[in-house]
Amino acid sequence: MNEASRRYAAVSGGFVATVLLVVLVLSLIVGAGEGIQYTLDSLAYGSLFAVMALGLALLFNVMGLMNFAYGELIMAGAYVMYFTRSWGWLGMILMTVLVVTILSLLMELIAFRPVRDASPVVLLVTSFAVSYGIQQLAWTDVFGLAHRFDSTIGTGPQKGVEPYPWLTNQFDVGGVLVSRLEIATFIVTGVLLVGLTLLLKKTTLGIQLRASSEDFRMAQLTGVRANWVISAAFGITGVLAGAVAILYILRTGAVAPDIGQGPLFVAFVGGVIGGLGSLGGAALGGFVLGAIINALSATLPITLKSHTQLFAFLVVIAILVLVPNGLVSIRGDAVKRLWRRVRRSPAPAEGAA
Amino acid sequence: MTALRRVEPAARVVWPPLALCALLVVTWALVDGFGDVVYKDTAVRLFLTLIIVLGLQIFSGNSGVLSFGHIAFMAIGAYMSALLTIPPDIKKFTYLSMPSWLGSWILPAKLSPLEATLAGAGVATLFALITAAPIVRLAGVEAGIGTLALLIIVYVFDVQTSAITRGTSTQIGVPQTTTFVSVLVWALIFIGVAFAFKQSRRGLRLRASRENVRAAKSVGVRVSVERAVAWVLSGFVVGVAGALYGHYFVTFGPDDFFFNQGFNIVLLTIVMLVVGGMTSVTGAVVGCYFVTVIYEAFRRWEVNGLGDVRPPSGTGNFVLAVVLILTLVLRPNGITGGRELAWPGDWSLDSLRRLKARSGGGDSVAAESAK
Repeated sequence: MNEASRRYAAVSGGFVATVLLVVLVLSLIVGAGEGIQYTLDSLAYGSLFAVMALGLALLFNVMGLMNFAYGELIMAGAYVMYFTRSWGWLGMILMTVLVVTILSLLMELIAFRPVRDASPVVLLVTSFAVSYGIQQLAWTDVFGLAHRFDSTIGTGPQKGVEPYPWLTNQFDVGGVLVSRLEIATFIVTGVLLVGLTLLLKKTTLGIQLRASSEDFRMAQLTGVRANWVISAAFGITGVLAGAVAILYILRTGAVAPDIGQGPLFVAFVGGVIGGLGSLGGAALGGFVLGAIINALSATLPITLKSHTQLFAFLVVIAILVLVPNGLVSIRGDAVKRLWRRVRRSPAPAEGAA
Repeated sequence: MTALRRVEPAARVVWPPLALCALLVVTWALVDGFGDVVYKDTAVRLFLTLIIVLGLQIFSGNSGVLSFGHIAFMAIGAYMSALLTIPPDIKKFTYLSMPSWLGSWILPAKLSPLEATLAGAGVATLFALITAAPIVRLAGVEAGIGTLALLIIVYVFDVQTSAITRGTSTQIGVPQTTTFVSVLVWALIFIGVAFAFKQSRRGLRLRASRENVRAAKSVGVRVSVERAVAWVLSGFVVGVAGALYGHYFVTFGPDDFFFNQGFNIVLLTIVMLVVGGMTSVTGAVVGCYFVTVIYEAFRRWEVNGLGDVRPPSGTGNFVLAVVLILTLVLRPNGITGGRELAWPGDWSLDSLRRLKARSGGGDSVAAESAK
């Protein structure tokens, strides 16, 4: 079995295993009927983070950038939805995707292009600065939203995008309550994942992107234009972020300047767990983490919930140290390799870029 | 003249930290002499953040490994020091549910400010010692995530373990013992410590590993050990900053040590270090002053206005972000280029030009890692 098919098997096996695990655990906790319902919801939630983690992994592979400003794309999408709510759903969706994609491209052009050759640390700090700047812009009164940060409450007032009743109302399918939004989430994320896979495998741009992910300089030497490939990567992540923003905001309804932070962290951590180095691995990681978080928050008793995060992040550190390439990289001789990892000396400071 | 020649090598070595200390003392003297309450408050916060940035410099600057986790040490230092100094009469009522194995010695404790600061920093150091083993094995983006996980773990602990930390409630009865002079003295000490560590054999080995891990290992540098030493030392430094912070702001909660909407201490301290030039102590000081001045200038402008012009509130933070991006674009290795302050005898337009021409050479990790 070669590397590619092994990884493919690992990713698809991981998806199936997560689905089965979530169904099993939820059914055990809340009973079979509700279990399936929670499962569907958790999987819809998880697939959102799969798409997000994919966007993060794409940029990480092509230019070694861990883009923290990705959360701000979601936030910007939320604001566009807030302003275009009255245009009807099609106008709103088109406008949101368009604006978020343009913002993503602008981000690259203004902030990331000039520092492209700098160290990963500088790239990371730049992405923080971009994220911080966009977020602060949203906190100011520029948009006339009076979103001013209120230090006495700790957060600003929240705006909302009212959910469409026809989208979120649940209906009964053989004893399981499903909403159109859940189905839409499955379809959209599925289409995006398949579409991106096809793009990466079949088109010239896709081949250029994958070549750049593997070795950016080598790809340049063989005639791949750096500016074009990186702009394309930002454009693709922009479209993905736009789609995620729409599905996520229709689900939660809340709009605030810091709304992108939560999903970003989940996708980020999930991507690392799955393995940011491979697109499939990152998507799987985001999916698993998103699904598990949703399942746990729906079912865990409050007393257990409080320290869950603490242990979750201990696991993250353990994974980083023991299997730095993500869970997808584990093979049959995992234990032996793990032992070698434990005794291994530290990674080079240049990082994974 | 010959006597001057003879002391010059030694003077060259101690020149950068002395000059930086002089800058701090001048700042202190000016603000203490002429500044009002607001300026004093700003200056105290400047020195507090400077201590944190120096701690970050000791670890990240010398090892090239980014850390979001140092604010966790700050939280530990602040909480521990506060717990040991709040008058026992108050503690009896605010910490009703503290477990007895802790309460038996924490509740009656009443330490002096210095003892408590050292105790708080000591616990932070202990935490650094425990966490060193996994952290030193990480680098690059993985290190960023690992240390971020550390920060989140401490934050979640602070919020959720209300028996020991009062959860999201703020502290009550912490004595305000941090003065302008005390932060100045600690900052001066840590400039010396950071510089001494950088110049020490351990510091040199760590810097070598930053430039090229494999080459450093091939000449016998035990990278994990060197990183661990820097990690623990910086844990102590930031722990002290936390204790001082606690005794300055008096009422603090877990959100003070996390991604905070007002003054985001986690990100801004890292930004200060990178903007100044993370590989030099001078860079840490310059970055800290640079960011603080911009931040404060705009904040003051928003509050007081300048003539009739008053920017919409929140502009300051946005402008700060723009300035940061501009700085990183124009000088990817920071304002100082990652170098220490040059010896006055070497100052010339010519050397400045050379510095510009090969910005990225010298003591910079970026030139190496970009390859």
